[in-house]
Order: sequence, then C-alpha cells, then structure tokens
Amino acid sequence: MEDPDRMTALSVRFTDERLANGLRLIVSEDHLAPVVAVCIWYNVGSKHEVEGKTGFAHLFEHVMFQGSGHVAKAEHMALVQAAGGTMNGTTWLDRTNYFETVPSHQLELALWLEADRMATLLDALNQENLDNQRAVVKNEKRSSYDNRPYGDWFHKLQEHVFPPDHPYHHPTIGSMEDLDAASLEDVAEFFRTYYAPNNAVLAIVGDVDPAQARAWVERYFGEIPANRTIPALGDMTLPPLIGTEAREIVEDRVPLPRHFFGFRAPMMGDPRLDALDVAAQILAGGKGSRLYRRLVRDEKIAQDVSFFVLGLIGGASIAAGQATVRPGVDPAVVERAFEEELELICREPVTADELARARALIETFELEALQRVDERADRLAMYATLLDDPDMINRQMGRYLGVTAADIQAAAAEVLRPENRVVLTYMPAGEAATGTTDEETAA
Amino acid sequence: MTLDQILSARPSPGQPRTYAFPNFERTVLTSGLQVITVDLPNRPLVSANLLIRRGVSDEPADLAGATILTARAMTEGTRRYPGVELLEAGERLGATLHVDASWDAFTASVEVAATRLGAALELLAELVEQPTFPESDVARLRDERLNDLLQVKADPRRRVDQAFNATIYTTDSPYGRSAGGDEDSVPRLTTDVLRGIHRSVLDPRHAAIVIGGDLTGLNVPRLVEAALGSFGGENPKHEPATVAPRAESAVDHPIVRFYHRPGSVQTELRIGHVGLSRLTPDFHPVQVMAAILGGLFNSRLQMNLREEKGYTYGIGAGFDMRRGAGPFSVRTAVQTAATVPSISESLLELRRIRETPVTAVELAAARDYLVGVFPLRFETPGAVVGALGGIFVLDLPDDELARYRDEVEAVTVEAIQKAAQDHIHLDRLAIVAVGDADAVGAELAAAGFGDLEIIADEVLAGGGAAEVAEAADEVTE
Repeated sequence: MEDPDRMTALSVRFTDERLANGLRLIVSEDHLAPVVAVCIWYNVGSKHEVEGKTGFAHLFEHVMFQGSGHVAKAEHMALVQAAGGTMNGTTWLDRTNYFETVPSHQLELALWLEADRMATLLDALNQENLDNQRAVVKNEKRSSYDNRPYGDWFHKLQEHVFPPDHPYHHPTIGSMEDLDAASLEDVAEFFRTYYAPNNAVLAIVGDVDPAQARAWVERYFGEIPANRTIPALGDMTLPPLIGTEAREIVEDRVPLPRHFFGFRAPMMGDPRLDALDVAAQILAGGKGSRLYRRLVRDEKIAQDVSFFVLGLIGGASIAAGQATVRPGVDPAVVERAFEEELELICREPVTADELARARALIETFELEALQRVDERADRLAMYATLLDDPDMINRQMGRYLGVTAADIQAAAAEVLRPENRVVLTYMPAGEAATGTTDEETAA
Repeated sequence: MTLDQILSARPSPGQPRTYAFPNFERTVLTSGLQVITVDLPNRPLVSANLLIRRGVSDEPADLAGATILTARAMTEGTRRYPGVELLEAGERLGATLHVDASWDAFTASVEVAATRLGAALELLAELVEQPTFPESDVARLRDERLNDLLQVKADPRRRVDQAFNATIYTTDSPYGRSAGGDEDSVPRLTTDVLRGIHRSVLDPRHAAIVIGGDLTGLNVPRLVEAALGSFGGENPKHEPATVAPRAESAVDHPIVRFYHRPGSVQTELRIGHVGLSRLTPDFHPVQVMAAILGGLFNSRLQMNLREEKGYTYGIGAGFDMRRGAGPFSVRTAVQTAATVPSISESLLELRRIRETPVTAVELAAARDYLVGVFPLRFETPGAVVGALGGIFVLDLPDDELARYRDEVEAVTVEAIQKAAQDHIHLDRLAIVAVGDADAVGAELAAAGFGDLEIIADEVLAGGGAAEVAEAADEVTE
C-alpha cells in the first residue's frame, strides 16, 4: 500500500522541559547549516483584549522593540542585524511570537535579548516611545487594511463567524479609537500580567550544543519571576454552526466584484480540520483543482479563486474562500458556481486520484517548510503553546496523509453548510444596487 | 548574582563556524545546454531551474507582455498532455511545475523528492518543448491580464509602481513598461505571437539547468540528457540576448507626479530615478550604501521616518538591479497629513548620504549584517539554486558568490560616499505618489519639490487608459 518512492517523513528530535519558573524550553539539534533559530511564543493574543482595548496585544508587540533595561530603543534590531541575523514579531488571535535567526555562534546574544525584555521591559518604557509606536501601528492599519482594496475582508468575516461577545469577533489590529486610548499604565499592566516565563514557550532549533543552550537559558531566564495569577480566559466555547447564513454587501473602490466566503470550522487539532485542509487543496490548490478548473478555466466567470483553513483554538476555526468576478459576469452566477462546488464535495467522495495528488503535494509542502530551522522552531513553539503537544510537528504529516475520501466528505458536510456560511460581496462603489438584487431571496 | 547583574553583562559571540558557499559543477551537453549541479547532503527535496537568457526586456515594445503570457500559457496543455493533465501528472509526483519570465530570463522550475527527479525532468521537458497554446486558453489568459490591469488601477501600491517606472524611463526602454503588458499591447498577443516567443526561447546555447539538493547516487547530467537532450534541436538559433536593453532617463530635473485618489488615508510614495545594472563594477559598495540608507531595519530612512516621526509603518530604499539599469527608489506609504514632510525628510536623507561620510559604526553595522546573514540566505536548495541561476543569466564570474563576503568586508567609508555621489542624483529625482490630492495638493505645490502634475482619479472617473492619458497631458500643459 505504501509507495516505495515515498519520502521518509522528516523526524524532528527535540527535548521538552520546564524551568523552575515555568518557562517551557524546547531544543532541537540540527547541524546541517551554521544557523540557529530562537522563537518565543507568549500565550497572549488579541483574544485576551477586552472592549475598549482592541489592538492592544499588537501595539504591545511593537513596544517590545523599543528597548528594555539593558537595551536602548531600536538597539534590539541593531544588535541582531550586526550579528548577521534576522528578527521580527507577530501578533494573532491566539498568541504573540518573537523570533531571531542568527549564525550559530551568536545564539547567546539572541537569548540575552529575549530575556532582557521579558525581565526588564518596563525599565525602558516611556510616553515618547509609546506614542511613536502608536503612530507606526496606525500607519500599519492604514497600509495593510484601510488603504487597500478589499482590505477589511477578514475583519468582516470575523464579525460574522464569531458572535459579538466572543474574543475572536474583533480584529487583531484593533480600532483607531482604542489605539488612541492606550496608556502607559495599560502597557505596564499588560506586561506584568502576560509577559511571564510561565506564560511562554522558548524553542531553539539548529546548530546548537543543547547543554550549552540549556545553561544559557537557565542563566538569563532562570531568575525571572513567574506570575502565578495569570487570569484565565472566559469560556470561548461556541456552537459548531453559525446558525443562519450571514450576508453583507460592501461598497469599495474596486473595479471587480469579489465574494468572500467564511465558515465556522472545528478547532485546530481536530482531525476534521485536517480533512478540511486536504479538501482545500482539492478545491482550490492549483490549476487542476475543482474551483479553478470550473470557475476560471472552463466557465471563465472568475478571475481567481481560493479556499483555505485558518486553525484557531478558542471555540472554532475559520474556513474561508474567495472568488473575483470577471467583468460583465453577474456576481450571483459566480457565487452559485462556487457554492455548487462546495455542495458537491459534501455530497460525493473525492476521487482516488484527487486524493493522491493532494497528499503528494501536501507532503512536499510540509517537507519544504520543515527544511528551515526558523519554521521548525515556530512550529514546535506553536504546537506547545496552542495544543500542549510539540510532537505534533512529527505527526501532522501522517495525519494529513491518513485523511480519507470519507473523512473529507464527512467534515465538509458538517462545515460547508448554508446555515454556517458568511458571504461578503465587495462591489465597485456605485454598482452595489444593481449587482445584488438576489440578496433578499438567497436562503 | 542578581538578575540585573546577570543581564547587565552583554554576551560576546562565540567562534564562528566556517562557511563557504556550496561548490557546484558544470557539464555542457552536446546541444550546448549547461548542467549546473550542487550537491547538498541531507536535503531530500531537489530544486531544478531551467533558465534561458531571454526575458521580458528582449520583447518588442508593441508586444509588451508577450514573454510572460507565453510562460503562463505553457501550462495550458502540451502535445502529450492536453489541458492541465501535465500539471496533474506533476502533482502525482508531489511536484508543482512553474514557468515564469523575468526581465532577463525565461525559467521553468520544479521542486521534487530526489527519488523522483528523473520523472519530474521528463515533465519539465515536455512542458518547455511541446506546449500547444490552445486558442481559447490564450484568449482567457489575455482577458485575465486585462482584468488584472483594472485591479492595478485600484490598488495604490501597484499603481504607484507602474506610474513610477513609466515616469522615469524613456518610452523606448522596456523597463518603463509593465512586464505583463498593457491595455494596448495585450490584445495583440495572439497564439502566433506566443509561438514566436516560444521558438526564440528554445535555444540550448543560451540555456542552463541548475539542480541542487541531495544528489547522492544520481547521475544528474545523464538524467538531464535523457529528458532535455533534444531541447531546441530543430529551431533556428537566435542571437544571444546579452545586450542590455535601453534604460535612459526621461527626467532631467526634479518632478512631482501626484495621482489623485480621493479619500486615501495614506499616500503611496516612490522617489528615485534610473539606477544601476547588476554588472556595475562597484556592486558591493553600492549594496552597503543602500543598506545604510534604506535596507537595514534600522536604516537612516527607517530611523527617521518610522522610529522618530511615526509617519509610516515602513520605508525602504534600494537599487533593483538587472542586466540593464533598473530603478533606484525610496519606497513607502505615509499617512496623508505627513505627505510633504515625508518627502522632505526622504530628500534630506538622500542629500545627507551623498554629502557626509557614513560613520564607522554605520559601516560596521551594514557590513556585518550583509556578511553575517549570507549563510542564512542559503539554507535551502531552492535558495542556492536561485542564486546560481542569477550568476548564469547575467554571466557573472563563477566565484561571484564565493567572493561576496570578502568583497563586502573590504568596503570603506570612502567607497560608500563615492557610490552615493556617483549613483544618487538629486537633480533628476522623480517623486511619484498616489493619494488624496485634495488634502495635500496645496501644501505640495508650496513645497516646491519640482514641477508638479496632479493627475485625475482613474477608478471613479470610470475611463479607460486613453482618457487617463489625456487628463495627464492637460495638467502637464
């Protein structure tokens, strides 16, 4: 049954331990290239924000680059780059992460930098730096969302897929009003609450001597006090389905209409989400996929299509898709065709060939990603933070390859249902009235 | 020791591990096709790139977009595999086949498990040698490009790039055009045109295939010979496209072109001029200079406009190098109200890097970054293969990458200032922007950065390219 040609699944060997203060340390040795990746995940994201303070987790991430007790403003970047390294940080619904990839002889520098800001960020915090980064983040919001065609689609999906009282309802970037309102005391409080070693996972992957790395981690992070009173998040449980179809017409400065589809989906780690991932490949991965073949190639009604899954852990994930309508085509026709393809994958099993092609491609994509030490560090920290299971890095491929046609059909039939669907239609400004007459009649 | 004492002591680096850019080997098949192999042990995914020195800049002006459309149409069916069957056959191997074209080269590539390299090369050869260019699929791809051009107008980022390039180059330079073609040229791209481009690409004397990964036990030249031995066999040979295209400046004094997009909350800005060829002899000083000006995270522009003033989420500057002189540009998006001060500060930084030597600390930071990050850049076969492809396409010396770090180490403060003075030209800067002219037009006119043209909104005007061009002319005169 196994293809003798099949690539040996890449096995990532690692150690997984906790310091006395609760910091979770994962180390994985790989001496292929003289580089090492350091990645630290804090178990805090925009889902921890409360009303009136949206955008705060991300604004805080920016403040983390403004200096700490022994590092001046912007010096973090200067030191990492002068060491021949790269660095950044990102914020998402479930978490915030920070990472450096450096030549292996510079590992100690990266660990020291991360420890210094975890221990002493507030020593360097001041109003000027906060105001500066507030301005930068507001420009990030303008540039990534507000000034971009179709730019707020994901925020609108969030609003419809998650109810107003759910922490995934609001966007990670936040609102201009809330960003304006963020105070120094808010920053300090956020730091004291969430930026504690027992709320973090540190992954070190690459050309590293594990005993030496462990000693450095113990030295720089070992004395940072834990916060034993991190407030628990409220219950984020959600019903599996949205309940009724949500539709919204958005007028925008766009020349072509575009539909975005969103569905409430099972949480990350649920095998049904793996099945939906494989379904996404069959639906929209490449020119041989179902949606591309029908809407773009054969019927020539769409300019492009996509379908994908975004895994989350707080009650539900999002499955989403999009199709850009060709000029002169009724947007309703494109929507209907897209939905028919989703109905078909719920009704009939995918073919053996479709499944084989999807599996082979997913295997290559996974191997390609895991070639890099930074990606391995990121995934180890992700699986430890979100699923308490870093070994998922070694099992995820098997889970994808084990997905059957029946699994796909069952997961699709549960999730890709009209009463679990959001349809956003972006219309060129001024054309919305004529292009969307079917709005009221759609189920 | 207290935590503060521990953290007060900055760590010093350990002993660097020696690093050298991987060795590669070159074989030339009887057809003239070069086979460049680089063995990277324990890298089970192999990257293969077939490159032909024939790119977008070699196509005639009236057929702009023909090379990229040819590349795209090649995956629409071949003699043995109609439609998408060839791509599907690739997928069964876990391989995605890509065909693409850049200014300088035509490329077909695949990434696949080493054990399936032979089969993947057979598909790559079929794709490159036997495309059928079905009429209806080519028509669809033309329409898709025309639709994409509509999207370009609505996206301030893409719009400003297109406008900047069209502004700085004379009309006889391909670099001023959109690589994918425009509203005038795309309708002319018939299947016959595409077949003509395809024939000119099939020339083994100007082609190489670069293959990297764990090649243990594989006779790569033999696999290539089996798959691509007859590559280009029956085609008339064309002359090598190794002459740099024209790249003259259309600008001889500072100008400002502002494309009005009502209600924009930011202004997309490009400031620059015709820049440099990748073959410039002072490539390394230029790289270090550009890193200090606008390449590093802590570049002068970033520190000034982002970290001090908060005008932008990010600003960069650099030279986009090709066989001919690609553009030099400062690139950013700034909040609307900060448009004029952002231009002033950018101009100040351009002046400053010409007039004052960089400090030893700045030089060290940029040099150490470029030298230190080099091994990180080449962690995977795809990256190594990509870099070697670039060497082939531009006929750079074989030791170009091996020498890189020594060359950068040798760059001096004086060489940086000379590079800035030689290659940054304040007297012919074009400032091109897309933003809300109602909000900033008056302030911009008063600032006197250069001859100002404000160009009417294109999306809400609902007009085609012709009307827009007329509107632009009116303002000019």
